[in-house]
Amino acid sequence: MPSITRQPFRTAVLVLVWGWLLFLVLAPNLLVVGASVMTRDPGTFISLPLNLDAYRQLFDPLYLEVFLHSLYMAAMTTLVCLLIGYPFAWALSKLGKQRQLLLIFLLIVPFWTNSLVRTYALKMLLATNGLINSSLMGLGWIDEPLQMLYTEGAVIIGLVYLLLPFMILPLYSVFDDLRQELLLASHDLGAGRFATFIHVIVPLTLPGVLAGVMLVLLPAMGLFFVPDILGGSRNLLVGNVIKNQFLDARNWPFGAAASIVLTITMAILMLAHRLSKQRIGEEGA
Amino acid sequence: MKKLALAGLLAVGLTGCSSEEPKVLNLYNWSEYMPQEVLTRFEEETGIQVVYTTYDSNEAMYAKLKLLDDSAAYDLAVPSTYYVSKMRQEDLLLPIDRSKIEGFDKLDPELVNLDIDPDNKFSIPYLWGTTGLAVDTDDVEGEPVTAWADLWDERFEGRVMLTNDMREVFHVGLRVLGYSGNSTDPQQIEEAYEKLTELMPSVRTFNSDAPRVPYLEGETDVGMIWNGEAVMAEETMPSLEYVYPEEGIIAWLDSFVIPKNAKNPEAAHQFISFVLQPEISALISEEIGYATPNLAAREMLPDDVANNRASYPTPEDMTNAEFQVDIGDEALQVYAKYWEMLKSGR
Amino acid sequence: MTRWLPRAYLVLVYLLLYIPIGVLVVFSFNDSRSGYTWGGLSLRWYQSLFNNNAMVEAMWNSLWLALSAATVSTVIGALTALALHRYRFRGKKVLNGMLFVVMMSPEIVLAISLLALFLLVGIQLGYVSLLLAHVTFCLPFVVITVMARLSGFDESLPEAARDLGASDFTMTRTVLIPVIMPALLAGWLLGFTLSLDDVVVSTFVSGPSYEILPLRIYSMVRVGLKPEVNALGTLLLVFSLVMLMLSQWILTRSKR
Repeated sequence: MPSITRQPFRTAVLVLVWGWLLFLVLAPNLLVVGASVMTRDPGTFISLPLNLDAYRQLFDPLYLEVFLHSLYMAAMTTLVCLLIGYPFAWALSKLGKQRQLLLIFLLIVPFWTNSLVRTYALKMLLATNGLINSSLMGLGWIDEPLQMLYTEGAVIIGLVYLLLPFMILPLYSVFDDLRQELLLASHDLGAGRFATFIHVIVPLTLPGVLAGVMLVLLPAMGLFFVPDILGGSRNLLVGNVIKNQFLDARNWPFGAAASIVLTITMAILMLAHRLSKQRIGEEGA
Repeated sequence: MKKLALAGLLAVGLTGCSSEEPKVLNLYNWSEYMPQEVLTRFEEETGIQVVYTTYDSNEAMYAKLKLLDDSAAYDLAVPSTYYVSKMRQEDLLLPIDRSKIEGFDKLDPELVNLDIDPDNKFSIPYLWGTTGLAVDTDDVEGEPVTAWADLWDERFEGRVMLTNDMREVFHVGLRVLGYSGNSTDPQQIEEAYEKLTELMPSVRTFNSDAPRVPYLEGETDVGMIWNGEAVMAEETMPSLEYVYPEEGIIAWLDSFVIPKNAKNPEAAHQFISFVLQPEISALISEEIGYATPNLAAREMLPDDVANNRASYPTPEDMTNAEFQVDIGDEALQVYAKYWEMLKSGR
Repeated sequence: MTRWLPRAYLVLVYLLLYIPIGVLVVFSFNDSRSGYTWGGLSLRWYQSLFNNNAMVEAMWNSLWLALSAATVSTVIGALTALALHRYRFRGKKVLNGMLFVVMMSPEIVLAISLLALFLLVGIQLGYVSLLLAHVTFCLPFVVITVMARLSGFDESLPEAARDLGASDFTMTRTVLIPVIMPALLAGWLLGFTLSLDDVVVSTFVSGPSYEILPLRIYSMVRVGLKPEVNALGTLLLVFSLVMLMLSQWILTRSKR
């Protein structure tokens, strides 16, 4: 290889980069795939023979319920984020440029703050003796404290709180690109506000919606510390199941299989995102 | 020649470093299970720094020890009875050198040389305790709560707390059905699961990090608690009562063990001896409310501690009490499956 | 006529985002033991925070880890970005794809895959495993930041350097590095924050010999309300605010 002698720097860089990614990205992922088709072993974690038991267990109706419940909570989280984030991003994109930048900055400040600490702050608010209850009771709106902490709702609130910026940012970027002429054209062609929204705005912002969904839905299935703190170790997420399999129950094949299902979900979402972007690209051209 | 000299220098430097390194004892223990004062006094007395890491279930402790098997991470852990025998049988423990332990003879003869570890070759009892009912008498009206079965009462909907401990929760389910809390029969375990699912709408939270906290926070009124936690809560919340359920209390013994690849077994031995001093054992029991197996320490306890029925039950309290035993990996898997289903259900 | 409505909505959402943080900060100065009632101004929780040896040690460990993870990932990330930008090589798409996978895959998947690797290869769980894991999940963010900078960069400069006889290394050092410097700093700060905040991956790949702050906070928070956590949270907030402003400042200044 003449290039080695000619370009030692290039070779060194490529070897380092490839080495790192192969060793710490490719190899571990292959290991997980491998582990998912092996047999649980109480001593060494995994052993031969190869089989698909872990996947079968995953689709056992009993476990399926766990997954569907987790998916339901993640979906609710995503929906709430979308409902809050969509008008938010729209309203944001209509402001002056300078103000937009400041508000975006304010949006990512919480994201840079420790997420555990923020979850804990929510706990202080939601507790029976917490600030929300004591304020509402102080105002005389309720007599009995509301039970908010350790409920499914608390988990969803926690997830929304942590993940909202990830929905808003991609939405904001599509609204920012939304060309005013298109809206005017739609208006000129006689479309009402609602028709313009359905036929022009929604399709054009779809890639942003999908990107946001992708960025929210997947973490919303994995952030195991949220149910631990706000859900009273109930209302588990797929992340909790995976963590338990690895750190408590020691059923690695099952945990690995569960995480592969997560990865596949991600792949499907990414594909959808890509397709929608391509479609928009064609239409826009 | 130059290289050799360099290597020699390096070797000297390295050994020099290692001898100067401060001695460290990695202690892996339940959360809130050792008063800070004991650690501080041990550090002052021996110069060994204690790194205190916590877990909230035997399963988590065991899994972590297995993970860290070769890296010699922990020098001392405190598993419950049934995990002592499991770990001993799986050859995960280092034998304890009795000649380095002082004060073993002061331990309650009833709590040594048990089936889980004949002749205490691998374990030294630390504390024993019970898991019973906690009742917030301020908020619970009507019939007094006297049995595990009372938790199923409709009036407690959304007010019940369970420990985040698979074996203990199933123990309750099994006892309510009249089975042994150590059942290995998949049929019985499933029945217990069915029974517990009926309780789930009432269950507000699972907590094994500090089971007293949901009661103190006002989130729950009734449910399971460890006796020591009940004692710790007495001061701030006098209305929280510890009740011995009619079906029988859950009893357990936690022992010091030294994991096989401990880096500093010497310090581990020192620490065990330190804790076995009657004065220290008494201090621990007084501070965190669990019962010490150290008879010499029990004599030193102030009356209000020694006569506290939560910490030191009377023989009548222990009627129907059942000690947790090892149930084998197969049964554990059955439990684990239903446990996850239980917790993820609504 | 409807202009106030969107604005009111924006304000409302910002309030919801900031109220919990505000409460946290206010209550960190609360003298009362209970986390719910106000007992007057006090710095006692800051004091007890710094008197807690284990906490202070975890803090130093975390800082050191974040510092080293950010530095290593910046170096490797910058080199990766340069390689992707300048060189043609086989498997470029695969490399890109792997970076994308790291960035998009759920943290928990990354966590267990790294745990499996470390156990198989026999890397002790502790500082080294944490460092490798943190560098890995910071890497794509650095690459993206640097790539963005490089894409707007005039290609004639490196060409000129090459024509003048500079070696690849010299050219990178004297021409490219100064150009991407702001991106490097921003990437470093991002990596630093990501590392300091990580709970999910660290839960899996840490060992007892090296306890870090997020895990310490995690065990504290699970035990119940601890006013020390408010104080710690406030400190972390101030800290990341400074970091964020620094990175924004660097980025905007470099654009001019």
